[in-house]
Amino acid sequence: MLRVRNLSVGYGAEPVLEGIDLEVKTGEFASLIGPSGSGKTSVLRAVTRLLQPLAGSIELDLEPNDIGFLFQDDALLPWRTARQNVALGLRIRGNAVKEAENVADHWLGRLGLGVFGDRYPRQLSGGQRKRVAIAQVLALRPKLLLMDEPFASLDAIVRTRITQELLAWVEQEHMAVLLVTHDLEEAISVSDVVYVLSQGPRAGIRARHEIPIPRPRNLLETRRDPCFAPLLTTLWDDLSAASVTDDSTQ
Amino acid sequence: MKRLLDHTTVRRVVALLLLLALWETASRLNWLDPFYAPAPSAIGKVLFSLFAEGQIWTHLEATFSAAMLGLVAGLALGIVLGFVAALMPLLAQLIEPVMILLNAIPRVILAPLFVIWLGIELASKVALALILVAVLIFFAVYSGIKEVDQRLVERVRTLGGDRRVLIREVYVPSVTAWIMGSLKVAVGFAFTGAIVGEFVASSRGLGYLLQFAQSSYNAALTIALITLIMAFVIVLFAISEWLERRLLRWRYV
Repeated sequence: MLRVRNLSVGYGAEPVLEGIDLEVKTGEFASLIGPSGSGKTSVLRAVTRLLQPLAGSIELDLEPNDIGFLFQDDALLPWRTARQNVALGLRIRGNAVKEAENVADHWLGRLGLGVFGDRYPRQLSGGQRKRVAIAQVLALRPKLLLMDEPFASLDAIVRTRITQELLAWVEQEHMAVLLVTHDLEEAISVSDVVYVLSQGPRAGIRARHEIPIPRPRNLLETRRDPCFAPLLTTLWDDLSAASVTDDSTQ
Repeated sequence: MKRLLDHTTVRRVVALLLLLALWETASRLNWLDPFYAPAPSAIGKVLFSLFAEGQIWTHLEATFSAAMLGLVAGLALGIVLGFVAALMPLLAQLIEPVMILLNAIPRVILAPLFVIWLGIELASKVALALILVAVLIFFAVYSGIKEVDQRLVERVRTLGGDRRVLIREVYVPSVTAWIMGSLKVAVGFAFTGAIVGEFVASSRGLGYLLQFAQSSYNAALTIALITLIMAFVIVLFAISEWLERRLLRWRYV
């Protein structure tokens, strides 16, 4: 569904990322982990054309409208209600206002926000705003979901609950996902495959690990899976080695 | 009584009444020279007679027409130029330096030039009010667009929004907040333009009356006119605030 080949991305002359190769198949949940500043977010920005690559190619077996992007910040329009925010993408894609708002109400209801449709973002809690952002993306029924540490700002309980809900949706809809995170446990819990980035600048893919935990998954139970602890150790070692190697070469 | 004084508005009104009472007492005891500082009651009488004799209406109409036309035209021009400059970098290179220059000078110095160009009637006053307001609003819009939250821009772009959608969904609402923040100052600027224009050369208007009061050393009429202008500006401020709360409802919920 998504193939990234030899991708280089940078904000100036020097690439932040160089020679990135990764692939996300239909229905696959892939995670990209790496140290801060390794350029994880830049990969997603390049895929969505928010950032022009310096080199390489991004092949997509779908239309740009089939991609959903869940940002680190909820980035809701403060002057629009929860319902209007969720309906925004549908309206942009040509749906009539009434129709779009009906779909928005449906998704807000599914995410437990049925009574909050008329509220503005500033009237909602962090967790509720995040749910609105999820509803905004899911209402468009994306085939590929890009997520940039979307729940990093939430407390542990809300974060686990929302991640579990989203995971259930992804499994049910057979969506392909590319998640950027620095949380190794989260990456193992939700992913089929984890890519490890080295320290930037000129960061590259250091390792690729398949996660053989069966689906459907429960976030708390995956931690008790026999392969969880060894995978966590492996990922930890990979990241530590990347940082040490890069520190020593700087 | 103590509970009543807990309200800010009540405290302000009480303070104003106390000040007026003190002023009135000082005048009646001849502590103040009525030539320079006439008693509030004398000023009130002048104000009353202005309305009772009906001579004020033509002056009010002239000043209000100039201020309101200048305000509306200045808002329109400032908004259009602000959007054009922010969204078209090539044109910004032309517009921005002119606006910076106009912002750097005390723009009321243009009043004599407008009188030469447009005559002593309404047009020269409208032009001065317009230029005062337009420069202020231009920078509100220009800065509003330049400093718009880029996360919102990217959010809308990833949802499939093009430039038209971005303007409608992000830039216009964002800039509205900036404009509303400058609206009260713009109202003050519009009246400044109208009255200074009348001061320089006119045959009617509150500025003309003020000029007449000053040349005849009529302090009571001068203070009465200043009070009148302040009262109208306060009313317009209240309307601006009401408008702001309506248009930026999401901020006040």
